[in-house]
Amino acid sequence: MATPKELSDFLASVQRRAFKQTAYAVRDDHTALDIVQDSMMKLAEKYGDHPATEFPMLFQRILQNTMRDFWRRQKVRNLWTTLLSSFGSNDADNEERDPLETIDVEDDSDEPSAVLARNQTIALIEQALQKLPLRQREAFVLRYWEEMDVAETAAIMGCSDGSVKTHCSRAVHALAKELKKQGLDKLGLSNAVYEKT
Amino acid sequence: MSRYKDNMTHEKNDNLSTDDIVLDTMVEQQIARHMTDLLNDSAQRLMPHQEQRLTLAHDAAVRYLAEKQAQLQYSNTHTSQGNVVRWFGDHFGQQHRMTSAALVILVMLVTFFAVQQFEVSNNLENSDAFLLASDLPPEAYADKGFDAWIDTN
Repeated sequence: MATPKELSDFLASVQRRAFKQTAYAVRDDHTALDIVQDSMMKLAEKYGDHPATEFPMLFQRILQNTMRDFWRRQKVRNLWTTLLSSFGSNDADNEERDPLETIDVEDDSDEPSAVLARNQTIALIEQALQKLPLRQREAFVLRYWEEMDVAETAAIMGCSDGSVKTHCSRAVHALAKELKKQGLDKLGLSNAVYEKT
Repeated sequence: MSRYKDNMTHEKNDNLSTDDIVLDTMVEQQIARHMTDLLNDSAQRLMPHQEQRLTLAHDAAVRYLAEKQAQLQYSNTHTSQGNVVRWFGDHFGQQHRMTSAALVILVMLVTFFAVQQFEVSNNLENSDAFLLASDLPPEAYADKGFDAWIDTN
């Protein structure tokens, strides 16, 4: 059984990454914070008696499931909103918006140029990550960011090892393509990695 | 449109046009590592209100686990082993709860019969006291014709 200190250490090590990952997925910071908070509490409530070594996998599974629950609720809510909006006026606020247009990019104008370039790179990666399909983003985050092996990632995603490899590969290709389009090779990544082999 | 639908739409279009970039596995991993390094950097620089919210959530989860474990420890030491049996020492092996329950039932039965017995003897004492305190002699109550004589008069 894990001790409260072990849980505390684990959560401290993972909470920021979990928030960012969730924010990329749901594209709303407040919702992301809610989801991470729920996931932390669920881990303590339901799996507090498990050994601390199982926490990383359990927490990621809880996080992914909580995100899916959020999307299910969003789907139902949007269905009703769509239905009810046909009775209302054509308000300009109801127009579709590309969420990427509203992403806040940090103002680093006071920072040295190197830091600025780095922050721009991060912003571009974050935007590219948000554009990824759900399963590809999940695979990328779990496999590369959380550094889980293929089997663990497959268990959390509920798919085969082969699918994980495919999703990961497609995710990296899509990210590389998107970043190249944005001229990221000038901002940090080497040109060499984009050359055709 | 909803974010959910957005994601689902993306998923349907799984075959992104990546024809213009061909990467081998090593390069893929190199790019991924580079990106995650940058993302880790970004994750370490959250807004103060986000940090605060995460800290609150973190503390609440840890506090919950600590309270749950304390509660569990308390119940283990005070209830799960059978208090009644523990008074008599640990001679009943592992079946503490069953033995405790049997002892409690036995004590209840003994108490019930003792109360019954006390009530019977108490009733006898009351009737004896009534006969002795009455104006009539006790033989009058034993006479079969006495009740009939009372009714006719």
